Amino acid sequence: MSVVVERSPVPRWLTERISNRHLVAIGVGWVTFFFVFPILFLVVESLNFGSGGLFDAYRRATGGVYLNAFARSFVYGFVTTVVTLAFAYVLAYYLVFASDRVRLLLTLVVVPLWIAYIIRYFGLLLFFSPTGPLGQVGLEIDILFTSTAVVVGLANAYLPFAVLPIYNSLNAIHHETIDASRALGAGQLRTIYEVVVPLSTPGIVAAGVIVFILATGSFLGPAVLGGPEQSMIANEIARTFLEAYNIQLASALAVIYTVLLVAFIAAFNAVFDLQEALGNL
Amino acid sequence: MSVTSSIRRASLVRQGTLLCILVCIYAFLLVPVAIVILTSFTGQSFPAVPYDGISFQWYTELITDSQLLGALVTSFVVATASSLLAVAFGTAAAVGFVRAEFPYKQQLSTIMLLPMIISPVITGIALIRYFGMVDVSSGYPALIVGHSILTVPYVFLLVRSQLVTFDEDLEKASRVLGADSTVTFLNVTAPIISPALLAAFFVAFVVSFGEFTATQFLISPGSSTVPVEIYTMLRTGLTPTINALSTVLVVVMVVAALLSRYFEN
Amino acid sequence: MLEVTGLTKYYGELLAVDDVSFHIDEGDFVTLLGPSGCGKTTLLHMIAGLREPTEGQVKLRGEDVTDLAPEDRNIGMAFQSTALFPHMTVRENIAYGLRMHGYDAEERDTQVQEFLELVDLPDHGDHHPDELSGGQQQRVSLARALAYEPDILLLDEPLTGLDRVLREEMREWLMTLQRELGVTSLYVTHDQEDALSMSDKVIVLDDGQKQQAASPERIYEQPANEFVATFVGKSTRFDGTLRSVDDRPIVETDETRIVVGTNDRATNHDDGEAVSLFVRPEDVDVEPATATADGGTTTTAGAASAAPTAAATVENAFPGTVEKIANLGNRTEVTVALESGETALANTARFPNIAVGDEVTVTFDSESVVVV
Repeated sequence: MSVVVERSPVPRWLTERISNRHLVAIGVGWVTFFFVFPILFLVVESLNFGSGGLFDAYRRATGGVYLNAFARSFVYGFVTTVVTLAFAYVLAYYLVFASDRVRLLLTLVVVPLWIAYIIRYFGLLLFFSPTGPLGQVGLEIDILFTSTAVVVGLANAYLPFAVLPIYNSLNAIHHETIDASRALGAGQLRTIYEVVVPLSTPGIVAAGVIVFILATGSFLGPAVLGGPEQSMIANEIARTFLEAYNIQLASALAVIYTVLLVAFIAAFNAVFDLQEALGNL
Repeated sequence: MSVTSSIRRASLVRQGTLLCILVCIYAFLLVPVAIVILTSFTGQSFPAVPYDGISFQWYTELITDSQLLGALVTSFVVATASSLLAVAFGTAAAVGFVRAEFPYKQQLSTIMLLPMIISPVITGIALIRYFGMVDVSSGYPALIVGHSILTVPYVFLLVRSQLVTFDEDLEKASRVLGADSTVTFLNVTAPIISPALLAAFFVAFVVSFGEFTATQFLISPGSSTVPVEIYTMLRTGLTPTINALSTVLVVVMVVAALLSRYFEN
Repeated sequence: MLEVTGLTKYYGELLAVDDVSFHIDEGDFVTLLGPSGCGKTTLLHMIAGLREPTEGQVKLRGEDVTDLAPEDRNIGMAFQSTALFPHMTVRENIAYGLRMHGYDAEERDTQVQEFLELVDLPDHGDHHPDELSGGQQQRVSLARALAYEPDILLLDEPLTGLDRVLREEMREWLMTLQRELGVTSLYVTHDQEDALSMSDKVIVLDDGQKQQAASPERIYEQPANEFVATFVGKSTRFDGTLRSVDDRPIVETDETRIVVGTNDRATNHDDGEAVSLFVRPEDVDVEPATATADGGTTTTAGAASAAPTAAATVENAFPGTVEKIANLGNRTEVTVALESGETALANTARFPNIAVGDEVTVTFDSESVVVV
C-alpha cells in the first residue's frame, strides 16, 4: 500500500517558478561555489603581491626538486598506466570470452574499489615489510620505499578502474565477429590482434586516461610505499603547504599541475568523450 | 591422433599459463586487504599472520581508545551528512541536465565531474584556503561541505544514468489526473527513483568514509576521521591497532557498498 | 465541448504545429490522424496543458483553459505507454485521479469498483500493472482516465503497442465504451484503420498543418488534397492537365487522357490547371486484354464496382502488364504497369484468373476518379 499525498506541502506560486534549468543552476552552483571558485582562488594565492616579481612562486615551482617531482609524477603515471592496461586487458579478455562466472569475478574486481586506498596501501606495506607475512616465512622482497614499490602500489590501486571500461568495450563486441575472423582463417592470436584489440580501443583509451589522471595525482601511494626519493607532485604540494607552510608556492604548484592536467584532458576530449569514459565507473 | 593431442597439450599449457596469470592478478588485487584483516587478529605486538591462534586484544584496545572511537563517530557523521548533501545537489543537477535543453549543456555538465578529476591534494588546499575566506570553519563544516563536493560526481553519474530510463509519461499522467508538480514528484517521481537515490547515497558514503588525501587538510584537532587516524598511526609505527581500525573501516565500507548495489538493482 | 483556435507551437526555430483550429462536439469521437512527426502529439499535449502553445487558444466547455495547468483542466488521458504507476496496484492507480479530484474514501471505492467492472477486470484491483497483459494494462489506463468523469478523454495512440488481433478487439471495445459513457474523445493515431473505423470525424494533420477535417467516408472518398489522398488508403495516380471536351472534364497526361466525372470533385479546378487524379483500388477493374473485346464473358472482374457501362469502359480503359499479385486474405491486390507509365492498383476476387506478366486492360468509372 503506497502512501499518496493529496495536497502540495509547497505553495504553487513557488513550484511554478522552479524549472529544470533552476535545478541545473542549483547543482552546478553548489559545485561552482565550493569547488570551481576555490580552485580559481588558488591562482590568486599563487601570485606574489609583496616585494619581488608577481610570479616569484612560479619561478621556484619550475626549478630543482619540484621539476623532479613533476617529471616523476608523469613517469610513474605513464609506467603505471602501461602496466595496469596490460593486466586489465588480460583480465577483461578472460572475463568476457572465457569465464562462466562473470558476475562473481567482476564483483571481485570491484570489491577493492569499495575499500579505502589507505587500507590497500597499508596491506601492500605489510606484504613487503620484513615483519610481514612473507618475512614471517623467511621470504623477503626488498622493494619497500623504492620506485618499484610505488608503481606496484599505484597499479594495485587503479587496476579496477582500468578493468571496467575495457570489460565494457570487449563485452560490446559481437562474438560472431570473432567467429567470422576465425572462419576466415585467422588464428587466435591474429584474431585478437586484428579484430578484438581494434574494436576495444575506446575502452583501452578510456581506461588509460582514467588511470593516468588518477596515478599522476596520487598522494597516498608514494606517501605510504615510497621514500623521500619517490616524492610525487601531490606530496610536494602537501609538504609545501603543511610543513613549509608556503601557501604561495603550494598554490603555484597546484595551478601548474592543474593547468597541465586540464590541457591533457582537453586534448583528450577533442578526440574522445571524457564523460563516456567516466560513465564506465 | 598425435597431431591433435599435441595441439590439445599446447592449448592446455596455454590455458594453464592464462589461469596462473589470472590467479596472480586476483591475488594482487585482494591479498593486501586480506593481510590487513588477517593480521588484525594477531597476539603479537606487531601486525603478523596469527599462526599461533586468534586474538581479539587489538579490538579491545580499539574500543578503549576514545580518540579512535571519536574518529569513527566523526567519519560516520561526515559521511552521512555529506552524502545527503551530495544526493540533494547531485540529483538536482542530474534531473536538470536530463530534462532541460540549453546550449553548451554537455560542456557545462563536465563541471559536475571536475572534483573527480582534479587531484584531491589540490582540492584539499583549495578548499581549506577558500573556507577560511568565506567563514566555513575547519572540522565538521569544512569536512561535510568538502566531502559533499568530492562525492557529488558519483551521485550525478549514477542518478543521471538511472533517470535516462525514467518514463516521463508517468509524470504527465499524474498531472492530467489532477496532481500538481509537487504532489506528482512526491507520489510518482520520488518513489520510482528512490532506489537510485539510495544507491547513490551509499556510494557517496563509501567514497566519503574512505577519503584521506583532501580530508587531511580539512580536519581540526577535535574532528579527525578514521583514514586520517590510520595514516597518522602508520607514520609513527606499525601496531595491530591500525589493523583493527582498518578492519572496522573495511566492514563499514563493504556493507555500505553492498547496500548500494542492492538498491541499484 | 472543445474548441481549438489558431494553435501554434515553435520549438526554437522549428514550427511543430502551424495555426491549427478545430472543434469537437459533445459526445463525439474525433481522431487526429497523421504520420509520425506531423505534430499531432504536440497538439494533444497543448490541449492537455502539458505543453505551452506559442500562440492560440484552447477552450473547454466554453471556458478558456489555455493558461491553466493540466491538473486544473479536468481532462482524462490515455498514453501509448499506458503510464500506469508501477509502484501502485490497479486499484490505487484508478483511485489516484479520484483522490486528486476530491472524492472521499467511500466514493472512491464505489467508483473504482464500478470502473473495474466496466473495463472487464473486476478481480484485478489488487494486482500490480506488471502482472497484467498489454491489453489489460491499456484497459486499466482507460479506467483510470475515465473514473473521475473528465470533460474530455484524450487518447495518445493507446493501441499502437498491441498486436493486430488484440488491436481490432480493443477498437471494438473502446468504441462501445465510448458510446456507452458518451464521453467526448480526441484520439491521436498514425493508423488510418483506427481513424476510419472508429471516428465521427477525422482531422488529418501533416507537417504541423491541418489538411482536412471531415467524416471518415469523406476523407476516404473525397480527399481534400494530394497528401490526404496518398496518406489515407492506396490509389492509382495520374498527373495531368484539366481540359473541357464536349462539356465533359478530361485530364490529359503526357501519354493518355482520362475522363473525369462531372460531380463536385472536379468543379474546384479551372481549365488548364495541373491536377492529380486518384482512383481507389476497389474502383478499378482488371481483365485479360482479349476479354474486353467480347463484352466480358469471362469472370475475372473486380470485386467492388458494378459492371461498368459500355461508355465508361471505352472511355477509361488502359492497357498494361500485370506486375504483382498479392493475396491479402479477403481480397487480392493486383499491380499493373500501364503502358502510359503509371502504376495501377486493383482489388479483385480472391483468386483472379490472371497471372504475373499477363497483358490486361484496366478500367474504372469516370465517377470514381478523385481530382485534387
